[in-house]
Amino acid sequence: MQRKIIEFANLLRKSGLRVSVAEAIDAFQALEELSIDDREVFRDALRASLVKRGDDVPTYDQLFDLYWSGFHDNLKGAFEAAAGALADDGIDMEQLLQKIREMLESGQVPEGEVDLSDLARALLTGDLSELEQMIRAAATQAGVARIENMLQIGFFGRRTLEAMNAEGATRELRDLAARLRAVGMGDAEAEAIGRLAERFFEALRQSVRSFMERELQTRNFEYMEKFRREALFEKSFYSLTEDEIARMREVVNRLAQRIKNVMSIRRRRRKKGKLDLHTMLRRNMARGGMPFELVFKEKRKDRPKLVILCDVSSSVANVSRFMLQFVYSLQECFTKIRSFVFVAELGEVTQVFHDHEVGKAIEEALEGGGVINVYTRSNFGMAFHTFWRDFLSAVDAKTTVLVLGDARNNYNDPKAWCLRDLHNKAKNVIWLNPESPSAWGFGDSVMDKYLPYTTLAEECRNLRQLSRIVDKLVL
Amino acid sequence: MFESVEMVQKQLEEQGYICDKRIATVVFLANRLEKPVLVEGPAGVGKTELAKVVAAATGRPLIRLQCYEGLDEAKALYEWEYSKQLLYTQILKEKIGEVMQGTGSLREAAARVGQQDSVFFSEQFIVPRPLMHAITTDEPCALLIDEVDKSDPEFEAFLLEVLSDFQVTVPEIGTFAAKHRPLVFLTSNDAREMSDALKRRCLHLWIDYPDEAAELRILQAKVPGMDQKLAADLVAMMQRLRQLDLKKTPSIAETIDWARALLALNAESLGEQAVRDTMSVILKYEADIRKAQQELSRMMTARAAVTPAAVPTPSAPAATGTPPAPVAPPKKGTLH
Repeated sequence: MQRKIIEFANLLRKSGLRVSVAEAIDAFQALEELSIDDREVFRDALRASLVKRGDDVPTYDQLFDLYWSGFHDNLKGAFEAAAGALADDGIDMEQLLQKIREMLESGQVPEGEVDLSDLARALLTGDLSELEQMIRAAATQAGVARIENMLQIGFFGRRTLEAMNAEGATRELRDLAARLRAVGMGDAEAEAIGRLAERFFEALRQSVRSFMERELQTRNFEYMEKFRREALFEKSFYSLTEDEIARMREVVNRLAQRIKNVMSIRRRRRKKGKLDLHTMLRRNMARGGMPFELVFKEKRKDRPKLVILCDVSSSVANVSRFMLQFVYSLQECFTKIRSFVFVAELGEVTQVFHDHEVGKAIEEALEGGGVINVYTRSNFGMAFHTFWRDFLSAVDAKTTVLVLGDARNNYNDPKAWCLRDLHNKAKNVIWLNPESPSAWGFGDSVMDKYLPYTTLAEECRNLRQLSRIVDKLVL
Repeated sequence: MFESVEMVQKQLEEQGYICDKRIATVVFLANRLEKPVLVEGPAGVGKTELAKVVAAATGRPLIRLQCYEGLDEAKALYEWEYSKQLLYTQILKEKIGEVMQGTGSLREAAARVGQQDSVFFSEQFIVPRPLMHAITTDEPCALLIDEVDKSDPEFEAFLLEVLSDFQVTVPEIGTFAAKHRPLVFLTSNDAREMSDALKRRCLHLWIDYPDEAAELRILQAKVPGMDQKLAADLVAMMQRLRQLDLKKTPSIAETIDWARALLALNAESLGEQAVRDTMSVILKYEADIRKAQQELSRMMTARAAVTPAAVPTPSAPAATGTPPAPVAPPKKGTLH
């Protein structure tokens, strides 16, 4: 059991869940306290101790079904089918087995000659758990870990049967029949043993095959899951599908939350005010100046403000879709945040984000949020100028300005001086550009003009880069 | 002490808490393994309530620590009672003079004071806060750390010692170990992900919205005087509302509130008018209410079309005779 749980924990890990050794130990302990006959209870006990995130529960459920899908039941089914087939031939398997066992135990067959292998013994005694163990061991030995596709099931199945010497065991059973006949067993029964051996072999073959199929499934699942996650992180924003964007929501939310956490820590460090001697003396006057009550200076509240300018032109449509999602999450985390979108004109969408749920808000913003015309060519110079003219008052020394855009200006006037003024006034100007730095300043890109006036400019083309930037950000 | 998973379920039910086997299993394990439980799930599905009923079912007093942003050690663990210390020094001034008598050198005096300093940093001057209280209390208790996700990440660090070893270390005195391990419940609305270190020490329980049958049972347990049919209708409606993409999905707490509201209004069936009047009990945003009302009209007309006679709603006269006409879109700002 322990082995199986460890294996299951490994499987969970490979599928991207975090399962520590301590948690696996908890799972053992939990199972000691419970009867594991009830599948539901068993599943819940494992879940409570191994899975710690609500989001992981669906994955866990899938894997649980896959892993504990009762290979044992499979095995049992195969052997019951064998018994059924024998019954059709007019042989009662149980009785036959019983008789063989009796004859073996009574010592009618000379010692030494009945040197049966473990497998044959397990077959004769109908010990399914033992058989399961053997199949597992043999499969491992056959290198089942390397199974990758359907076509290999036959190959690995054969190797597993070889590893457990299934044919050998069948032969042994036939020999046994011959020997038992020698010591007085009826012809019909001896022949039945021969058929029994065949059926057993067939049942074994089927079980191994189903084991292989199951193994392939779990491995496929691991592979797919991992692949999906990896892909999501590395995939360029340019080529995201709607579905992927939806799946990213959670990741993005977490990133936004992380930014907030970083900032809350910074705020807390500031919190310890100094002793306010003046007020303290005055307040403790009544106690003869003994400082019974300590008074600290007002904590300095450093609530950072954020102003976001997001390019929503068609050249970066997919990127901005994603960026807006990020912006939306940020807006939910911060109180003092203003969001703007621009193509050539620039308009505020803070209220739009505030009023609608994320999907609708993003659609609205991409359509210009009712404040700008998005069907123009992007003009960063004009957008910055509009901001400088109308909203510069939104920026003060505590404000971080976040610009999301590719700086492809269609050969318009970049008006870098607007950004310079912004930079002078704001605490930070951070620019996230979906293009790689080597393209900055080439063609109609004016990134090089803006670069001097940013505190931090980074390429941000996929989730991994974004999460790295979030780590770096100290707003 | 619970004996089996079924016992847990039964005992909680006696306390008026209907739960499925999953919840019961985790509670049972927490009790047996003496491990804290981290309960997560949407707001209003009975996370806090679970801790309360488990405390009641086991006959333990419940100590509650409500978390919020800025909660620190001094408010969660313990605090030195500074003014009391000061007061004592003032009162004991003369006594200190006596103690100091006959000391020749400063060094000797300092040593003398040193012998006494434990007086001022003793348990006498500690104000225990909930966590410390739960550890040092003489009888077994249940500890509820509510909305742990609202606390700062650093606060989790204080929790770790308490949760894994059930002890509190006060640097000046030493370590207080729990006489009885408390049953600990942490609840979280998932506003922020808890650290892995914290999660590792806990069993995890995810409570989701119940299915229709379970919700009906909960409703019947919580609001006993309710008409069967009305209760069933109400639960069906709630299940339907949860399918909608709402800003704040209504939870069980809202179902119960709603049932009580309808009961108070003497509503006999879930008519359109009654629903409109009480919509604000279950939905907290204007936009949600608007969306829900559209869905509602659709549902009502569908139902009226199927069984026109079986639904004697107050608004029925308006609906009879005319085929299920689209209800005029609700006016904005009529309900709060």
